[in-house]
Amino acid sequence: MITAQAYPLKRDLGLVGWQIRYEQRAFWRNRGRGVFTFAFPLMFLVIFASLFNGQHMSGRGGIPYNDFFVPGILAYGVITTTFVNMAISTAILRDEGVLKRMQGTPLPRWAYVAGRIGSTIVIVGAMTVVTLALGVIAYGVHISASTLPAVIVVLVLGTIVFTALGIGIVRFIPNAEAAPVIVNLTILPLTFISGIWFVTDSMPTWLQNIAKVFPIRALADQLQHAFDPRTSGSGFRGEDLQTLAIWAVVGIVLMVRFLRRPQGEDV
Amino acid sequence: MTSTHTQNEGSAVLVRDLRKSYGEVAAVRGVGFEVAKGEVFCLLGPNGAGKTTTVEILEGYRTRTGGEVTVLGMDPADGKRELRERVGIVLQQCGVQSDLTVAELIEMYGRYHVRRRPVDELVELVELTEKRDVRAKNLSGGQRRRLDLALALVGDPDLVFLDEPTTGFDPAARRQAWSTIRSLCELGKTIFLTTHYMDEAQFLANRVAVMRAGEIIAFGRPDEIGGRDLRPAEVRFVLPPGRSLDDLPELPSRDIALTGDRVVVRTAEPVPATHAITSWALEQGLELEHFSVAQPSLEDIYLELTGSGNNHAIEEAVR
Repeated sequence: MITAQAYPLKRDLGLVGWQIRYEQRAFWRNRGRGVFTFAFPLMFLVIFASLFNGQHMSGRGGIPYNDFFVPGILAYGVITTTFVNMAISTAILRDEGVLKRMQGTPLPRWAYVAGRIGSTIVIVGAMTVVTLALGVIAYGVHISASTLPAVIVVLVLGTIVFTALGIGIVRFIPNAEAAPVIVNLTILPLTFISGIWFVTDSMPTWLQNIAKVFPIRALADQLQHAFDPRTSGSGFRGEDLQTLAIWAVVGIVLMVRFLRRPQGEDV
Repeated sequence: MTSTHTQNEGSAVLVRDLRKSYGEVAAVRGVGFEVAKGEVFCLLGPNGAGKTTTVEILEGYRTRTGGEVTVLGMDPADGKRELRERVGIVLQQCGVQSDLTVAELIEMYGRYHVRRRPVDELVELVELTEKRDVRAKNLSGGQRRRLDLALALVGDPDLVFLDEPTTGFDPAARRQAWSTIRSLCELGKTIFLTTHYMDEAQFLANRVAVMRAGEIIAFGRPDEIGGRDLRPAEVRFVLPPGRSLDDLPELPSRDIALTGDRVVVRTAEPVPATHAITSWALEQGLELEHFSVAQPSLEDIYLELTGSGNNHAIEEAVR
């Protein structure tokens, strides 16, 4: 290939690295978007964990409430930093014409997208570290070595699913002002039936079945299972991983479809 | 208007029978032109004439329905990176990563290019030196436009597309931008300009194409377009009180019009006509108010061509 000669992959990967740095700089500089995206789940963590600190659950074998709640908030954190953040910021970039401008530069589209995704991974990583550190230090949550691989796998899988969906959904967002509403309408109801804020074991079966279709419950459930002190073995849950894998495919298809469309073809 | 000769080494843009339809609507209907390397080419036309569609096809943003397009020897529809490497684009309304500073943005966009101009040089060129550490979101409209220009030039392009580059500029800033654009030409860049401002086209362009309803209706040098150089000149003045057209001396003109007290003499020989009129006025001891001699302006020709101002009587009455 001629292009491969003119543009060595190494150079393009270097550009991805630079793009991650610029995206990070822009993200943390914008307090409204950066800091609050990050602070939102942490605020819930502190509020809920303080409310229920020291209490044990009535169901689920009476485990400490925080062992249920901290992984749930972690799942929520992954979703806000990937899906919510990506969808809203991409809609803004699209409406402001930044995507169009990027399309006119020699930077390959994949490298730009990789830079944005890479930056999101950095944010998810930071969010995970802070949430778990708070959970372990302040709220007595245990991370067991046996389930740690499951935690890592599901965080990676969850990041893929919700980042891809976050980019893919932009196609269905008519304008940037509508983005926060659409994104929250998509996420919030599902978080309630997906066992993030409270246990949904006694919820009507039909509602549970709806929740099981979507990836939020799968992510939360898998994380809660891995952090459950009663869990023995590796802590993987086949059903949840399967749901996440299916949504990863759906997300990637939607993402690619959005990214393939040229920017600027208005009609 | 389709150029019939084959593309030579010197052409930066070659367009033949370009067509673009959106469903049933034909936005561009068989447009053809050639832009030589190193020239400033200007596309004029009212809104909805198909200017932006044409330019965005050349820039690779839109796909064409038919025809041939070559930009720097490549087809923009192929989306080749080599082409984007050599083309700089200033779009009409196009955001940047607004949380980054002027210098950061120039540096970032510069990295995308194999060949790039230093940040300091560009900041100076567009006179944003004092604003280099200001975030893009805090720049004024004119400063943002200058940043756009810097970002378009960051890859040291051979061809620069400028879509209404000075909209929203004050007159001093416009003059400044013009001299920047002129200096680009001196460096051998080809400039493809679209604008609403006739004075801008007049000042910058080597050649002008006027579009209306998806077609090019006139093409040529700014001083020749629409037969401007062949048009009669107009000698204008206010008829002194108590005088009528019959009192005027014999003039080399068959088109002498009186509207109110204003006289317009259209003539192919403006020098003898002027001489006759002023001699007559001196002899009679008359003052000729608002006396002027002028060729029709590019704006007059443009309005006439695009059909938005060819009613002379109305124009006169408004004056």
